[in-house]
Amino acid sequence: MNENKFCFIICTNNEILLSEAMHYLSHLVIPDGYTTDILTVTDAKSMTLGYNEAMEASDAKYKIYMHQDVLILNRYFLSDVLSIFSSDASIGLIGMTGYTSVSADGVMWHADEKLGTPYRRKDSYPPLSDYRYSLSEDGYRPAALVDGFLMVTANDYPWDTQNLTGWDFYDACQSLAFLLHGRKIVVPVQRHPWCMHDDGGLLNMMEYNKYRLKFMQTYREFLGKRYSEITVPINPL
Amino acid sequence: MDTSSHLLSSTDAFFTKLETDKEAIRASWNHIVTTLDTALAARDDKALLALIPYIEQGDGTKAYEYIAETRRILQILHISRLELSCQKEPFFLQCADKQSLMEKYMTALFVLRRLYFRLSEESVREASDWLTCNPLSVFAVYVMTQEDLITPDNALYETIAQICFSYWNEDDKKMFLSLTAKG
Repeated sequence: MNENKFCFIICTNNEILLSEAMHYLSHLVIPDGYTTDILTVTDAKSMTLGYNEAMEASDAKYKIYMHQDVLILNRYFLSDVLSIFSSDASIGLIGMTGYTSVSADGVMWHADEKLGTPYRRKDSYPPLSDYRYSLSEDGYRPAALVDGFLMVTANDYPWDTQNLTGWDFYDACQSLAFLLHGRKIVVPVQRHPWCMHDDGGLLNMMEYNKYRLKFMQTYREFLGKRYSEITVPINPL
Repeated sequence: MDTSSHLLSSTDAFFTKLETDKEAIRASWNHIVTTLDTALAARDDKALLALIPYIEQGDGTKAYEYIAETRRILQILHISRLELSCQKEPFFLQCADKQSLMEKYMTALFVLRRLYFRLSEESVREASDWLTCNPLSVFAVYVMTQEDLITPDNALYETIAQICFSYWNEDDKKMFLSLTAKG
């Protein structure tokens, strides 16, 4: 394992989106002594299969799993996530948007308390060059689940390819896997959004319910629970 | 009924309706894609613009409700309708099918975002070159900056003006300045 390496992992089926995401990656400031790598998985059969394949292929300690429609805007993203991981060795997963509890209905964004700062067209932001995150001043918030559009990990836990055969709930299940391994999940407090996630403003829900019902059955004891209450190991999905 | 029960029942109701609507959603989406592919290949403006009422008031509302790309397609159609009504080249010109239409739209949106975010001089130059070589109408620029995921400010409008004023006529320039002037 290379402790001084980041790997961006992107499942892709659209060259134009991927190319633009990589354009923004190419502008990130790389911390001294660190290297970066990008692994793309084209036409994966499922998100978990794609992510597992890339995870196993990479020796980077820090892996950034992201959607092809995500633009990282914070140029100091890498040093900022490093500062968060360095502040507490038990932090295993960082998300950009998260939730302090697991919603009773399994739908992540129905949870009471949402964390993070999504990019919204109605808001106004300062120039990118003016924005710097400060661990001491801004900090981060603990979460139960984070949204899969971007997940930064410091540990490798296998993604559940057996049960998650589509494009939904890989993020919720992986978040719980981290908590059940005793790792913390956090979301940085972002005065301005670190990323833009352009999913067209609408999630594809066509197969969502199938995985929601599975999730609710497997993790029923955690439904409605806060992150601090999710500690008991159970059989993963 | 407590909050949790209410949440569960409303979520169940949403997914029950989605399950019921699934075939209709797929059928309306297929109609939109097929119409775009055939009408763009044949340059059939009438068939293309007929998709606007289909999406806004007809069976296409199903696709609009659940499939994100439908929303951008509708924006493109509105842009094209405005352009055609002013005897300008429509946005879809030179797009042979739905895929190339969406590629053109996304590329244009990325260019506008690069001009806004100004990641580097090279990034801005590439975007500027694209917008110079691939003219967008005043309608396209305005609808995209107003309706899509971008937060336009005066600096962006000034940059766009510097580039697009080289090929916009006087009426277009006046319209752009008027639309983007702070009230």
